[in-house]
Amino acid sequence: MAQDGLTGATTPGTIAQPVLQELARAGGGRSLWGDALHRLVQNRLAVVGAILITLIALAAVFAPLISPYPYQRIFPGQIIAGLSASHPFGTNLAGQDTLARVIYGARNSLGVGVFVQFVILVIALVVGGGAALGGKYADALLMRLTDVVYAFPDLLFVILLQQVLAGTRLAAYMGGLFVVFFAIGLVGWVNLARLIRGQMLSLRTTDYVIAAEALGATRLRIVVRHMLPNTLSPVIVALTFGVPSAIFTEAALSFIGIGIQPPLADWGNMIYDGYGAVLATPWPIFFPALALAITFLSFQFLGDGLRDALDPRTR
Amino acid sequence: MDPMAAYALRRLLWAVPVLWAVATITFFLMHAVPGGPFTQDKALPPAVNDALNRRYHLDKPVWEQYGLYLWDSVHGDLGLSFQGDRSVTEIIRNTFFVTAQLGVLGFLVAVVIGMTLGTMSALNHNGPLDYVGVAFSTIGASVPSFIMGAFLVIFFAVDLGWFKTLGWGGPRHLTGLLDPFAWDWRRMVLPVVAISTLPTAFIARITRASVLEVLNQDYIRTARAKGLAEVRVVLRHTIKNAMIPVLTLMGPIFANLVAGSFIIETMFSIPGLGRELVNAVIRRDYAMIMGTTLFFTLIITLANLAVDLAYAVVDPRIRYR
Amino acid sequence: MNVRNRWILLLAAPMAVALTLAAACGGTSSTDKTATAAAGGAGTTPTSTQTGGLPADAAPASQQKITMQSTEPQFYDPHRSNFEQDIAVERMLFRGLYNLTDDGSGGVKVVPGDAAGPPTISGNVYTVKLKSGLKWSDGKALTAADYVYGFQRECDPTVASPYQYVLGAGLGDLKGCDELFNNKDATKTQALKDALGVKALDASTLEFTLNRPVATFETIWSLWATFPSRQDVIQKFGDKWTDPGNIVVNGPFTMSELVPKDHVTLKPNPEWSGQKPAIQQLTIKFIDDLSAALKSFQTGELQMTAIQPTDVKVVKGDPSLSSELVIDPTARITAIEMQLKDPALAKFDVRLALSRAIDRKTLVDVVFDGVYTPATYWVVKGLKGFQGNSAFDSTIGFDKAAAQAAMASAGYPNGQGFPTLKLTLTDTPSNRNLADFLIKQWKDNLGITVTPDFVDGKTRSQRFNSGNFQLFPGGWQLDYPDIENPLVGLFDTGGGNNKYNCSDPAIDAAFKEATNATTEAARIAAYQKVETLVVTKLCGVAPIYQNAVPYLVNAKVGGVVPNGTIDASGPGTYCVECWYVKK
Repeated sequence: MAQDGLTGATTPGTIAQPVLQELARAGGGRSLWGDALHRLVQNRLAVVGAILITLIALAAVFAPLISPYPYQRIFPGQIIAGLSASHPFGTNLAGQDTLARVIYGARNSLGVGVFVQFVILVIALVVGGGAALGGKYADALLMRLTDVVYAFPDLLFVILLQQVLAGTRLAAYMGGLFVVFFAIGLVGWVNLARLIRGQMLSLRTTDYVIAAEALGATRLRIVVRHMLPNTLSPVIVALTFGVPSAIFTEAALSFIGIGIQPPLADWGNMIYDGYGAVLATPWPIFFPALALAITFLSFQFLGDGLRDALDPRTR
Repeated sequence: MDPMAAYALRRLLWAVPVLWAVATITFFLMHAVPGGPFTQDKALPPAVNDALNRRYHLDKPVWEQYGLYLWDSVHGDLGLSFQGDRSVTEIIRNTFFVTAQLGVLGFLVAVVIGMTLGTMSALNHNGPLDYVGVAFSTIGASVPSFIMGAFLVIFFAVDLGWFKTLGWGGPRHLTGLLDPFAWDWRRMVLPVVAISTLPTAFIARITRASVLEVLNQDYIRTARAKGLAEVRVVLRHTIKNAMIPVLTLMGPIFANLVAGSFIIETMFSIPGLGRELVNAVIRRDYAMIMGTTLFFTLIITLANLAVDLAYAVVDPRIRYR
Repeated sequence: MNVRNRWILLLAAPMAVALTLAAACGGTSSTDKTATAAAGGAGTTPTSTQTGGLPADAAPASQQKITMQSTEPQFYDPHRSNFEQDIAVERMLFRGLYNLTDDGSGGVKVVPGDAAGPPTISGNVYTVKLKSGLKWSDGKALTAADYVYGFQRECDPTVASPYQYVLGAGLGDLKGCDELFNNKDATKTQALKDALGVKALDASTLEFTLNRPVATFETIWSLWATFPSRQDVIQKFGDKWTDPGNIVVNGPFTMSELVPKDHVTLKPNPEWSGQKPAIQQLTIKFIDDLSAALKSFQTGELQMTAIQPTDVKVVKGDPSLSSELVIDPTARITAIEMQLKDPALAKFDVRLALSRAIDRKTLVDVVFDGVYTPATYWVVKGLKGFQGNSAFDSTIGFDKAAAQAAMASAGYPNGQGFPTLKLTLTDTPSNRNLADFLIKQWKDNLGITVTPDFVDGKTRSQRFNSGNFQLFPGGWQLDYPDIENPLVGLFDTGGGNNKYNCSDPAIDAAFKEATNATTEAARIAAYQKVETLVVTKLCGVAPIYQNAVPYLVNAKVGGVVPNGTIDASGPGTYCVECWYVKK
């Protein structure tokens, strides 16, 4: 907790402190993040989560190298086959290898999680930041927009948007994935935008920002050097928790038949397929469900760890 | 005026432009969807298509349809569903009655079981009960409702035959609420359990954390030191304070129940509003999509308002802007 | 929060393990059910339609209850419907002058319904006598005037019947029906209604005036579009006339309860003078999600349901369910439709090569789980005049060598120099698999490149109707079960539905022969000639399969005789009064 005094112990009015702070941030900033990292590493559950996520991400990236077969390859006569040496996870109703599909499914499922967070981050930064910094009218306008989006039933908006874009060129982009990702992102940014706005508004009145303003730092410099870095930690935590919830949303869409479509593999549509076969064999639903649960738990643990590490005040 | 009432009124008034914006966005999004309600695999002869479009006023320009729609909805007429020319208002009334039962029961189960588990865990900190509670909340939070539903259907309905999977066991009309014969619990247990697992886990987790925090506060220690029995300490001092963070979660929990209804209702063939909305989108039933969206928006807005007000009642430190 | 949670990771799996256990138990318990299923015998065994009284193995009346799955009907008004689920219920509630039923060998036959017998024909005037003693469900007598009112509604543009065209030009050709339907001037409506070619000569005699002699009169006059309506009831209740309590019907069942979005319940109509139904209560549950329906079938809550084609494999693997599986072919052929104006497709040898390069048997197995039937015929099974695969397999069926030879004789040996063709279809998972399969076959067997062009449904229809396509998997859903329906207008020069630009003097001559035929046998023979010419010349279509719907029917349900040509939304729904529950 020693270095934490950076934000708390500033004495207003003195010139030396903000200068010191600028220095600390420019040169000695590592210590703050280093500290956080230290706390994170001590949290074993978070480390396990991080390792599992890394493994899943690697599997997703190198899917063509690791996967025993292409995900869409059909083995005639091997329909809902049990576990065997050639098909360690068995096969599905179409006679495709479940292991291969779980590995490739990581691409789409994890891809949804990450890409959606990216969309959310961009929109939330623009809206939240704009509201906090753009003056009274921009704030009012953007917050009202947030209210509208917040009130809109998410799933409905995603479905509608998907149908609207179905006939367009965007629909074919990334094999149809783009539309799903984009739609989920477009409804999910509200909480993050509010968080960013709140964080920035409170930072605006902190002593070191006031001091930096007094020192004549440009607005842009204040935002980039002071406000963004201090907004970062809650945002990182929020994004970490956001990944599994985006994966869930997409899986739910796939489950009602409007998410990622076969033959593309994705854990959600694999679970849906597996549910159809579950009376004959449990394996086609077991492995994607397990993968989904592990991924969710990993992000949950990592998110908890990050929150504890980045914001020592909360427990 | 009482500041709280003024605040509530302002929020309610604000709901009007929000509803208008949502209606407008939905209307134009919907009309941008390729294909109309009468598009089918085998094209209808043009004369038939014309007659149908005329019947449903789809031959008018989109702007005129929009104006007409706004005018009618302000007067409480949400139009007719293409599905049998039934009044959308009536369909919403009937199907929402079912969805509300599912949601309220799911909510009650989540709050009661979640808070019990959470409190139990906290009081038995690091003991076996705590392990059980924490394990439940961690696993429960990582299993989406559709996997939970699938598991319940296969195990308890298909294999064991204890419960049923088809439709809803609750009454269909308000009068049935008090009629014990209108309830068929064998058709209610599985969907309620499936929809409430996730919120139960969340509530258990939050309750545990906040009870632990309260237990460490000085006044509780004082109370204990004064020799008050453990149970009374917990009941009198901790529960109320521990409820505040739970209340903050009500908004997201409610949203979760609404989203869950889409899937659970489909899975158990429950004639609720969530399932109808999905069907309406697939069938391009314009009036039905519009009406349901507006209704859901209104419900979410009101629920958020209620949560905020409840929050303020419990925690007097909250001020209204 | 570090130490206490460490072991939780171990618990991440139990949920999934529990799922596994549940499913494993499922295997054993469903095996237990085999005995009962075998004893009951499958619903697939066709039983001949009994004429009266209950079958010997019928359960007592108190057990005569069936719950079945269906998509929710849009309407219960026969003059507003053209969806299968609507038609299924409407035929339970209403009946027309004639009736379509199974002929005992999978074909279709027309029998008199409310009509006393076949029409008396004099030129374009058809006179039909009603049976005596016909009653509506409220006890009032059913008269010729009720039929006149029904036809007036069907042709009325404000009712906007989506099936009006079956009485319009080229099909039913009822005099004045198109004129009334296309009229937009309200002042002329009454005059046009009066001029409609249907009159009640007396309470039990109907006279129809057509624009031409219609050989399929009895078939078309059996369709829901021709059912009678009660003017007093409709005028009293308006659009609510089909609500339970208001609705008055003339079929074997009445509507006793309707909960929109959930179910409709039917009970026998006491005033019905036809075969008395054995079923005392038929509940139709509205379920779109077929995997949910399958689970409910397994718990015994549903006795009849459609299932997804992908579930057929699972069902076949389950000893109990497999005996309850009914695969009901639908009245639709899917073909590769071809644009004959395209320079490459204008060559017969190219079309022949494309057709003979498709291994239809493997296609149906791989893409459609063996549910559909491979086809080289265009006139569906069950129709009078059906010729089947044996007539065409040797000329257009799968034969790689012959396909390659045809490609070479068209001037593209091994596909060299062949232009890239486009295959247009809607973007659905099964269409993607279909496109993958077809494209691979053409590539492997002919060495040519075909690219998929996925579009939405509306674009697809526009492309087809404007003739703007090359290769187009599509087909023809029968309007009514007669051999002429999938042919007339599709393959004659200048035909209204001839989007292929098929123009062949021999085909036109065969059509003429059919129109001029004086006997039913000659008419059928002439249309068979049309089909043979169209298929062997590949004049716009290369048939690939006949579609089908898989159903599950509880082994205890008897009297269900599937006939895909006339079934709607369930096997044997055309004769619901034949159904019963076995002991």
